[in-house]
Amino acid sequence: MWCEVVSLLRSLGSALVSYFDAKKKRKVAEIYQALNSDPIDVPKLRRMAISKGGLLTDEIRCKVWPKLLSVNTDNLPPLPAGKELRQDNKDYQQVLLDVRRSLRRFPPGMPDDQREGLQEELIDIILHVLKRNPQLHYYQGYHDIVVTFLLVVGDRLATALVEKLSVHHLRDFMYPTMDNTKQILNYLMLIIDQVNPEVHDFIAEVGTIFALSWLITWFGHVLSDFRHVVRLYDFFLACHPLMPIYFAAVIVLHRKQEVLDCECDMASVHHLLCQIPQDLPYESLISKAGEIFVQFPPSKLTKEAAQAERTAASTFKDFELASVQQRPDTVLRQRFRERMRGEERLRGEERTKSILTKPRTNRFVKLAVMGLTVALGAAALAMVKSALEWAPKFQLQIFP
Amino acid sequence: MAAGDAESSLELSLTGSGALPGALPPARSRIFKIIVIGDSNVGKTCLTYRFCAGRFPQRTEATIGVDFRERAVTIDGEHIKIQLWDTAGQERFRKSMVQHYYRNVHAVVFVYDMTNIASFHSLPSWIEECKQHLLANDIPRILVGNKCDLRSAIQVPTDLAQKFADTHSMPLFETSAKNPNDNDHVEAIFMTLAHKLKSHKPLMLSQPPDHDEIHIKPEPKPITSCWC
Ligand SMILES: Nc1nc2c(ncn2[C@@H]2O[C@H](COP(=O)(O)OP(=O)(O)OP(=O)(O)O)[C@@H](O)[C@H]2O)c(=O)[nH]1
Ligand SMILES: [Mg+2]
Repeated sequence: MWCEVVSLLRSLGSALVSYFDAKKKRKVAEIYQALNSDPIDVPKLRRMAISKGGLLTDEIRCKVWPKLLSVNTDNLPPLPAGKELRQDNKDYQQVLLDVRRSLRRFPPGMPDDQREGLQEELIDIILHVLKRNPQLHYYQGYHDIVVTFLLVVGDRLATALVEKLSVHHLRDFMYPTMDNTKQILNYLMLIIDQVNPEVHDFIAEVGTIFALSWLITWFGHVLSDFRHVVRLYDFFLACHPLMPIYFAAVIVLHRKQEVLDCECDMASVHHLLCQIPQDLPYESLISKAGEIFVQFPPSKLTKEAAQAERTAASTFKDFELASVQQRPDTVLRQRFRERMRGEERLRGEERTKSILTKPRTNRFVKLAVMGLTVALGAAALAMVKSALEWAPKFQLQIFP
Repeated sequence: MAAGDAESSLELSLTGSGALPGALPPARSRIFKIIVIGDSNVGKTCLTYRFCAGRFPQRTEATIGVDFRERAVTIDGEHIKIQLWDTAGQERFRKSMVQHYYRNVHAVVFVYDMTNIASFHSLPSWIEECKQHLLANDIPRILVGNKCDLRSAIQVPTDLAQKFADTHSMPLFETSAKNPNDNDHVEAIFMTLAHKLKSHKPLMLSQPPDHDEIHIKPEPKPITSCWC
């Protein structure tokens, strides 16, 4: 009898495994299909990067990340010799200090000489990007982002991706001062206020410094499991540059009970929140961040807070520009507005629930639509164009 | 701010030199908030870790923004929480971020690296910044030269540092977060500060006058020579 139960369970287990295997295989196939279609189906790649499991393997990431950032991988320029870069470089000393101390970012079993080689590459990538873009200023934590790219895609491709990322997504952190960064941190408060005013009022007392390292390293500095880091990077690369701050808000909201139980002072809250639990339910938090983003996009937040438009202006000017021309986005907002009206003014807890119980089906599609408006500077125009090309068709699918 | 790692995590409730085992904690202990500032790489994280965890961290990472460590001590029978705010050394962080950390600070520790003269030359700008942020003028401040274990690499002579400390009316301590024999010393430095705070009336309201009776070895006195 017992044996039968065990064998039943076993076969059930293996059935589950093969179910997930099959699902994963299907996703891999879909991703390759998107990669191989002509032109490459970037919107679909975005959806894949956002949806459950993200891009699954580093091999796929090497192929898809460049597409998400519109980086041409055909003729990557060779890297200049490190020696030249290091001479008379104003950032070299700080970069060196930070990279030397970044041992924890490398896989635990990696032989020392291999790690040291990668650390040298890491320094060179950073200096190279900074040298080519004198408007960018190095910050402690930038190296935590660059190392992620280095470990996943290797130095040559990493250089190209990081450069693109730096002049767009990260540029607000790289001004001579961190004023813009501070303003982005204010978004954290705006988002939390929308979802849960009680938590907002609590946090307002203690400030947002706890989220600084989350934001400017895209969580690379605070998560010890590299798999979680790259999963988040899939998500962030496919979305609007402000998505990391939405994700930060979701983490705080996820832990709201602990937060509210804490003493309301900067130290206690800082301490609590800085210890990110390593077993966070990443997939569901990603979904929540996406839902909140759709419901309270940055433009809406700023409007509601009657904030100066200067806030992180550089980052989402392109976004605003793009979204004006983009029907799906407008439609989305409308839908949510109507929905909100229909549901009456739900406050706090209930409002959160309403966000979290939105139908799952179209979320990734919507997010991918939003993701299209990722600020890509020179590339933005082309991006918007391609968005318009597929959007009408797409829209039919979303809103039958 | 890294998680999941002892080096960067908060050390809660390590008992201090004079904790009474089994004694009930008081309803609410006083908190001394001390901010630790100085250039990148001078060893702020190591020093605060040494005090709160009792050892030199195996490895540290660049501090991003601010980290926070805490230790409970007992001074003259009173339970006190010493909160150390370990700040990022990179200049850009202090420009727009650091005001937050200065809120309600009770004392300031300036740190330089004895093997790096540049970190010593940065001190005036740290002191200036601190002046701008702190409303009260009489907040206790101390100067700490770190890494005195690296004897052959010393670039900042003690007499130079002492002169500087005198000009700014701060006590000077030369120490090492690393040298295992210096555990007591790092401890002594922070405990000295805690004593000073305990008897610092303007900041600590509603405290009866107290007589410091705690004895720490080695005696924490502002020094002119390294205890390595
Ligand atoms: N020999 C020696 N090395 C030390 C000592 N204290 C710190 N170090 C080393 O100095 C380096 C910097 O130490 P940290 O504590 O990370 O420096 P920090 O001041 O916190 O730097 P930031 O976080 O960048 O501002 C590390 O490699 C430490 O191992 C010391 O007393 N002796
Ligand atoms: Mg530090």
